[in-house]
Amino acid sequence: MHSILLIARREYLEQVRGRAFKMTTIGLPAVFALIVGVSYLSSLGLGANRRVAVASNDPALAEQIRHNLLGDKQAKATVIVAAPATPQDRALLLSKVEDGTLDGLLSVETTPGKQPAATYTSQSAGDFITTGRIRSALNHALLDERLTTGGMNQVAADALVEGISITTYQAHKDGTVVRSSAEASFWKGYIMAILLSMTTMIYGMNVARSIIQEKTSRIFEVMLSIARPADLLAGKLIGVGAVGLTQIAIWLVAAAAILVSPFASAVLTGDFTVHISWAEAVLFPVYFVLGYLLYSSLFAGLAATCETEQELQMYTPLAAAPTWLSFALILVVINDSNSIWSVAASFFPPTAPVIMFLRMAAEIPPAWQFAVSIGLLALSIWGVLWFSARLYRIGILMYGKRATLPELLRWLRYS
Amino acid sequence: MPVVELAEVTKAYESKVAVDHLAFSVEAGQMFGLLGPNGAGKTSSIRMMMGITLPDSGSIRLFDRPFERGSLKRVGYLPEERGLYKKMKVLDQLVFFGQLHGLHAEDAHQRATSWARRLQIDDSLHKKTEELSKGMQQKIQFIGTLLHDPALIIMDEPFSGLDPVNAKLLEQTLLALKDQGKAIIFSTHRMDQVEKLCDSICLIHQGRAVLSGRMREIKSRYERNHVLVEFEGSDSFLRSSEVAEAKNFSGHAEIRLKPHGDAQKLLHEASAAATIYRFELVEPSLEEIFIQTVGGKVDA
Repeated sequence: MHSILLIARREYLEQVRGRAFKMTTIGLPAVFALIVGVSYLSSLGLGANRRVAVASNDPALAEQIRHNLLGDKQAKATVIVAAPATPQDRALLLSKVEDGTLDGLLSVETTPGKQPAATYTSQSAGDFITTGRIRSALNHALLDERLTTGGMNQVAADALVEGISITTYQAHKDGTVVRSSAEASFWKGYIMAILLSMTTMIYGMNVARSIIQEKTSRIFEVMLSIARPADLLAGKLIGVGAVGLTQIAIWLVAAAAILVSPFASAVLTGDFTVHISWAEAVLFPVYFVLGYLLYSSLFAGLAATCETEQELQMYTPLAAAPTWLSFALILVVINDSNSIWSVAASFFPPTAPVIMFLRMAAEIPPAWQFAVSIGLLALSIWGVLWFSARLYRIGILMYGKRATLPELLRWLRYS
Repeated sequence: MPVVELAEVTKAYESKVAVDHLAFSVEAGQMFGLLGPNGAGKTSSIRMMMGITLPDSGSIRLFDRPFERGSLKRVGYLPEERGLYKKMKVLDQLVFFGQLHGLHAEDAHQRATSWARRLQIDDSLHKKTEELSKGMQQKIQFIGTLLHDPALIIMDEPFSGLDPVNAKLLEQTLLALKDQGKAIIFSTHRMDQVEKLCDSICLIHQGRAVLSGRMREIKSRYERNHVLVEFEGSDSFLRSSEVAEAKNFSGHAEIRLKPHGDAQKLLHEASAAATIYRFELVEPSLEEIFIQTVGGKVDA
């Protein structure tokens, strides 16, 4: 135990004092914030400032569509109306779309007793945001027109078409009811899942890289004369894992400091209230440690069989596949966090940490499911460690050539 | 009481027998040379002594007890494939090794400083290892091996990569440790160093001990049929019927006589052909014994 702690301490101090730790501690959240910020800011301008023409045989309907489009503050559209439109008007407007003077032409034909026919012509087939806005404006205009034609006054019809917003609450099993937002919950779960998968992968890779570096520097035989291979591996896993926990702790403290700042309270108001439960606060480090141990012991075994970092990189996509699978299941989990698929994925050890956090964002699963998920993770860690420790014991003393599959099987037999 | 004792130790990897019924023992205060061509089984034998690999059969005893990991606290090991943590400062690294060997940090610090002074690298203690030359790094590895004052020191090719000055310093240090009663085992290709330093040797070839025992006793097994000659003039005497093999290095010749060759007759022929400054009948060098024993199978 003394050796394990000394090796873990050396590993921890070496990494925490290193430049890479300082750079990633500051750089990763900055890059993440930049990506989210840029995506958000650019999404604000998506489909905006379009110049659209509405051509129809029904002037009232055309005017209502224009009114609806101009009422959309984010669209900032310029709308011209040709109604009642002649074939010449339509041809002229179409030529303007073709030469780029206009971004699109909405053509609506109404025939009494029949469903109106609408076409939208533009140069960009992929501008789904503008298409969506035009569809919404058209449908609302038609509904408005039918309601007023049916005898409802304009103000009542407008109010009905505009709809009402719903304030959402989440009822917990302990009887408390808190205000919630599906969107905010999704993003909270998503960000925590990303943080969890990113850190377990990064620190799993750090273990692997550290083993390759030690193999390259030929330190292993010196160390093996002082400590058991299992102690070397355990010390490395504990040391690097502690570095990961330190980094996450720094990020969480910084995030908490930002969230309680006046700036955050000005930005994160109303529907975007984020509530982090005690279960999430406690289980996050638990799932980090378990996920990290699973991936890092897998990477440690792989690294012991490799000669160079380039060689290791060939295996990385294979080892990271479960993380991709976790993110591929996001929609399944968000749609129904208690479906058989969601529960199964939160029990399957390689996907359990990420999926469990996505489930928790929607609804806290029952305690027995946590117990099964954590139990299976612990069991699989034991299995992978057993396997990796055998590869590690022999692999760290093998220099000069890449191990073949039959050789790896022999190593497992020898150990 | 032997400090280390191998009895009929055998180790095979797949179809290759790396060590084949090897047996020897080393006492306290003894310098023991483990010799052999590349792939002979030296490193495999040493790794088994250190518990890095286990023998298939036979037994290894350390300090008169069956091998157990606890005994390794009293062993200092310098492997052939040696390395250091490149980013760590030298002193931190030595203290770390000392602590792993069971020393307190302060004690390890003190010993590291003292050894660094002795090996003339005390001004490098606060540098990162990667900033040092290969020879300097080797001295640090040497200190790391000795920091915990081991009773048994095992070094695999300790002189490789050292310049003559540092090799001399290492030799002197090893002799001083031997005088303190440490048992020292080292493997090397450098026969001159073995001849100079070792009391006993074991020559391994293809995993088997082909020659072992006290140096003096081994050398006495071979007759004095080697002659060193320093001369000026004709070298025609090198082609004498008494000579089996001769190497001429511009006035300095090394001659091996034929079995029962007559040295006096050769001296007579040499003095007739050239001016002789030195004519010395010597026992064969360890290198010659090595080559004779291992024969043409040496791939080193």
